[in-house]
Amino acid sequence: MFSVRKCFWLLLLLTLVSCGGMIDDLNPSGSDDRPVVQSGTTGPSVGQNAPDFTLSDTLGNSVTLSSVFPTVQGVVIYFAMWCPICDAHMSNMQSTQIPSFPNVRFYAVDYVSATVADARNAEISNGFLGSGFTVLADTHQTVLGLYQATMGTTVVIDRTGVIRMNEDYKDGSRLQTVLSGLP
Amino acid sequence: MNQYIIKQIFAALIMGAAFLSPLTAWAGSCCGGGAATNLILPKYARGMIDLSFDVEKYDGFWNQNGKWTPDPPGSDLRQYRVNTGYAQRLASRWQTSIVIPYVWNDNIYSGLSSQTNGLGDTSLNLWYEAADDTSAWKIRSIEDLTPSVLIGPSLLLPTGISPYDDVHSSFDVTGRGFYRIDGNLYIDKTLHPWDASLSLSYGTYIERPVNREYGKFVEPYHKKLGDRTSASFSLSYIYYFGTGGDTLTGTASFSYLNEADGTIDGVRDPTSGFRKEAVGGAIAYSSTDHDWSLRASWSHAIRQDGWGENFPTTDIYTLGVRYVFR
Repeated sequence: MFSVRKCFWLLLLLTLVSCGGMIDDLNPSGSDDRPVVQSGTTGPSVGQNAPDFTLSDTLGNSVTLSSVFPTVQGVVIYFAMWCPICDAHMSNMQSTQIPSFPNVRFYAVDYVSATVADARNAEISNGFLGSGFTVLADTHQTVLGLYQATMGTTVVIDRTGVIRMNEDYKDGSRLQTVLSGLP
Repeated sequence: MNQYIIKQIFAALIMGAAFLSPLTAWAGSCCGGGAATNLILPKYARGMIDLSFDVEKYDGFWNQNGKWTPDPPGSDLRQYRVNTGYAQRLASRWQTSIVIPYVWNDNIYSGLSSQTNGLGDTSLNLWYEAADDTSAWKIRSIEDLTPSVLIGPSLLLPTGISPYDDVHSSFDVTGRGFYRIDGNLYIDKTLHPWDASLSLSYGTYIERPVNREYGKFVEPYHKKLGDRTSASFSLSYIYYFGTGGDTLTGTASFSYLNEADGTIDGVRDPTSGFRKEAVGGAIAYSSTDHDWSLRASWSHAIRQDGWGENFPTTDIYTLGVRYVFR
């Protein structure tokens, strides 16, 4: 039976060795490793110009980011896949930031639905119809890729089209701070 | 009945209870997060290898108000896990174990599909057997009422792929990314052919720095997940069949899990806590000498309002096999 045990430990060792990514969590770093960003360039990082896009909302209306800026103080884009975390984040935004910043436009980007109709159904079944969010259907994950986003990613763009925030929503306090600092 | 047979039966029941412990009900999260389970070594055994395969099928979630909401139309979200465990007796009343899951995430939405895999979070456990159950057939003395009681700590190691690793999507995640220390209590009592067990656990995560989210470096901050409380109760019936003492154990269980709100830079994050309640059923076969055993179990989250908060509703199907070294 010792050979069985040896096989187990060997298998365990091989598994651990093959998974190098775990080191980041076993010994987490708190250093600030954000790359320096050159202003005036277009990209997903804070300080860059926001990549422009056009998506359909769940009523079939076309929304182009650049056409929104002249009318608002800023834009918040939240990436949603209709999960409990997304629901918690969006509900938190709905009760805190949306009422506090009436001149900011809030978009929820649905990147998991194949069609505008699917996105509409998800918006309704999750209770976000008329919530203060305009839900956009990113049916080909184009905007998801442009902003290097995933579930919970929250992007703030000021009226000049510069990205002020691009990170996880977390508890919403960072979003609150960034929105308060918008010119 | 001689002492040897009593020991055998006791050992089998402890094994059965360990199999059927509904702790596996907490293996999932909405976007990966394969966690390990506990192993309990039979009294007579020196070591044990356990292999199990979980299929966790997602079907909607409870929001923060406890309202159940279906997943988006056209979605089929699953997580598969192979859990490899080993337990070792250290002394007559002390035992330790390790469980390592390997996780496959298989997520299909109407407009997107993703298949990723990686190691899950590893669990290290230490048990002290504070009291032994003699597994009586009939109560003849007060000692016959004594349950088996095991207490001990466990440590969750963040060996899985977390949102703070160099990943690009929430679909890649197979672990929470935090160390957690738990205190565990396991009580089991058998009065043939019935067995009841209670499992209680309280855990706290260790705060850690975060400087990256899904591969993007961010302004560093400190994060801590909320303290975790879990409890489960199970009731089993043991059926003896054949001439050699093979057993078939059927179990029904109820499980409760609560994770309090976490903190970010010491400030409570009101979006992070969750609660889940689940029911389960299981059946386990153990051979006459109890060296080999097989099990199948099902954990079911009730898709109705109020049975959970801020957590996905899932069904977990498990098949497992175990071999004991004497």
